[in-house]
Amino acid sequence: MIEYFFGVVLPYAAIIIFIVGTIYGIINWARCAVPLKIPVTAGQQASLPFIRRTIYDRIDNPTSRLGVVVRMFFEVFLMRSLFRNIRFYYDKLELVDTRWMWFFAMAFHYSLLIILIRHLRFFTNPIPDFVKLIDWVDGLMRFWVPSIYITGILALASLAFLWGRRIFLAKERAVSLPSDHFVLFLFAVIFISGTLMRYILKIDLTNVKTLALGLVTFHIPPYEVLHGIHWLFYVHLTAVSILIAYIPFSKLMHFVGFFFSVTRNMPNDNRIRRHINPWDPNPEKPLIVREGLVVDMDYNRYYEMYKDQLDEIAEKGYKVGGGV
Amino acid sequence: MVEELDKIEIRQEFPIWKKWLKPITEKDFKPGIYSYIALPKQVDSDFFRTPYGNVVRDIHDKDWKLPENWKEIVLNEMEDTLKKNRAFKLFLDICVRCGVCADKCHYYLGTGDPKNMPVMRAELIRSVYRYYFTTSGKVFKEWAGARPLTEDVIKEWYYYLYQCSLCRRCALFCPYGIDTAEIVWWARRVLSKIGLNQRFMCTSIEASARTGNHLGLYPGGMAGALEMACDEISEITGLDVHAYVNKKGADILFVPPSGDYFATPHWFTLMGYIMLFYELEQRYGLIITFSTYAGEGGNFGTFHSYEAAQLLNSKIYKEAERLGVKWILGGECGHMWRDKHQYINTMNNPPKHPEWEDPVNPITGTRFKHVTAEHGWIHVLEFTADLIAHRKIKIDPSRNDHWKVTYHDPCNLARAVGIIEEPRYILRNVCNYFYEMPEHTIREKTYCCAAGGVYLGDEMMELRIRGCMPRMMALRHVVRKYGVNLLVTPCAIDRAQFPHMIEYWKIPAEVAGVHELVGNALVMTGEKEREVDLRGNPLRREE
Repeated sequence: MIEYFFGVVLPYAAIIIFIVGTIYGIINWARCAVPLKIPVTAGQQASLPFIRRTIYDRIDNPTSRLGVVVRMFFEVFLMRSLFRNIRFYYDKLELVDTRWMWFFAMAFHYSLLIILIRHLRFFTNPIPDFVKLIDWVDGLMRFWVPSIYITGILALASLAFLWGRRIFLAKERAVSLPSDHFVLFLFAVIFISGTLMRYILKIDLTNVKTLALGLVTFHIPPYEVLHGIHWLFYVHLTAVSILIAYIPFSKLMHFVGFFFSVTRNMPNDNRIRRHINPWDPNPEKPLIVREGLVVDMDYNRYYEMYKDQLDEIAEKGYKVGGGV
Repeated sequence: MVEELDKIEIRQEFPIWKKWLKPITEKDFKPGIYSYIALPKQVDSDFFRTPYGNVVRDIHDKDWKLPENWKEIVLNEMEDTLKKNRAFKLFLDICVRCGVCADKCHYYLGTGDPKNMPVMRAELIRSVYRYYFTTSGKVFKEWAGARPLTEDVIKEWYYYLYQCSLCRRCALFCPYGIDTAEIVWWARRVLSKIGLNQRFMCTSIEASARTGNHLGLYPGGMAGALEMACDEISEITGLDVHAYVNKKGADILFVPPSGDYFATPHWFTLMGYIMLFYELEQRYGLIITFSTYAGEGGNFGTFHSYEAAQLLNSKIYKEAERLGVKWILGGECGHMWRDKHQYINTMNNPPKHPEWEDPVNPITGTRFKHVTAEHGWIHVLEFTADLIAHRKIKIDPSRNDHWKVTYHDPCNLARAVGIIEEPRYILRNVCNYFYEMPEHTIREKTYCCAAGGVYLGDEMMELRIRGCMPRMMALRHVVRKYGVNLLVTPCAIDRAQFPHMIEYWKIPAEVAGVHELVGNALVMTGEKEREVDLRGNPLRREE
């Protein structure tokens, strides 16, 4: 009966933890106040008509809501900030772009997305056409039976890069925590078990599909189906479940957190529209004056303090220099 | 101090997480790197006060005389900050430690200290956050990269939070836009609640709260400085130049950073402003006034906390209302423009007097479309660029022919406002030789001068020298390649920092503000033929 635990209970539990945890995280962030409008402007602002402003400036320094949507699009789908990456060498001064991180991050995330879409064929009956299409395009390398997925190779290669840099590069090794390695380890287990099942062991998928369909339609399949699946599949599924359940407690929340990133999701229109701080909405006087920590340094007090000197300036007609 | 440091060596270290989770203590603090803790006269005055600031604290002492319940205060403040600022919570939550930010920080490049990587600087706070506020940290403790709050952790925070200049270069490169400066800024605010403040910063904040400017100049002193500048201009141009101070009914209020009244080479920039304003008055009758009450644009409170920033910038709108100006013109300063562009009209209610209007350049008729009466600040670079574009002032760029100019983007002008092309437009018009530094050191990718975030004190000179290294290498590159001899920067802190750095790195160049060159090139109505520039250098004769 252990199969029921790993094949049914664990996936359901993981999904529930994931959904609840993610919603909780979103609500938590959404409830925090945003005191200041602090976009990081990565290009020329919109100002005077004769000031040159390129298309990149428009993307990286948006003034409108629409501009922010464009900027976020480029950030989310093309990882624009990461693309900007340069590397500092102590001994040279030329511009050295290092786009490896960008390339492998893109490769990793996009292969993951396509692999996820491909997996829909286990959860749907009949299989939707777009899944079939993606499957066909992805599997164009037909020198092996079954045909080799490009995304499979990319995912493994980028995982090797992303983990390798945490192991072999000194700076990245120093900043890595056990949790960072743990996530990469889970991905490694998932990718490798999946690869083995498809290309080497070529395990029977009928039962897997029955189970998968049963899980999404809430019809738990009979014991024989679960028992008939190769043990490696349970390793695969368990790793996926742990990963999914772990997301809300980890840095992997960046996939929703990014949309709250105030340095990217706010337009640079501070001088056009006033931003109101929710916990200081009507600042007639500074907060610490209202709290009574310091004296209120208004003009009257200032005038009292420096009366003689201010009067002297007034006597000169508020004018200095010019032989007065 | 600059001379004492003969050789700097960058020793990189890469401790693993178990090692760096152990906080360093006051014994490991390196001289030349740390900043002194503020004294009661700065943070327990009637004009600027933080809790528990009434104790003299020495950074070398083992006992930092924290309040008895310091731990409770810090944790409560952290919890409060998490609610008050989404950025703080989010940025603590979603960092994946990819390490892209590491070699973007000039302090990390200069010191090689692993905890100066932006990710690690944030991790110092994050580790404590995990321990008290997250599930994984509560369960797995050290193995989740979490650590309890101890006095040593507080000391480590103080040491490293005051090695960040809030330049936000890391935030530019971070794939999630994680802004380490935001974490550092709000964590400094937490530290200020148990009486730990940086001394240099608080000296200026207190002075500004008391007198209206960071230097602590009294109204008479400030007026005297302006008068002296007028006299110097009169000598050079042969005109009886004057400036207005505290003049009610002026069209525009001008607020420069206070360094301009006093320091060199800021002084020549001040002369440039006055010449421009005088010329505009003579030709178009436009009256622009200085103010002694709101004489400070550069707001060191923006390095300390929300409250301190608000305390200092609250004066300016009030002064605009009192003088009845139409809008406000801001001087050449970097972090001042983060404060003025992003903070001021959130922290204060904009003026409502009848004269106050959507800013229009009264001379060219340009309606500044990116500014409305809800804000009301125009940067002097935008203003001058507009005047030049409409040919409203006469410019003779050949008067700057003895300068070969390069331009340093102040971090906050580039990354918080986006004023990048305006100064270049002005420079191309007022001088004939303009060269750019390497691409990865300018525009939005600009390196900090390493003195922003308040590192102008002498005790952290080594930190300043190390942090300024990338910028100085870039400057040396153009000095060798093009023979550049003038580093132009519209930032008061840069202008205070760079002369020392140029001296240390032995680069044959000088430092100036944009409006010094404008002042040089400006052909004033009725002036005599100029023999010298604003610094008294002879002008290059036409062949």
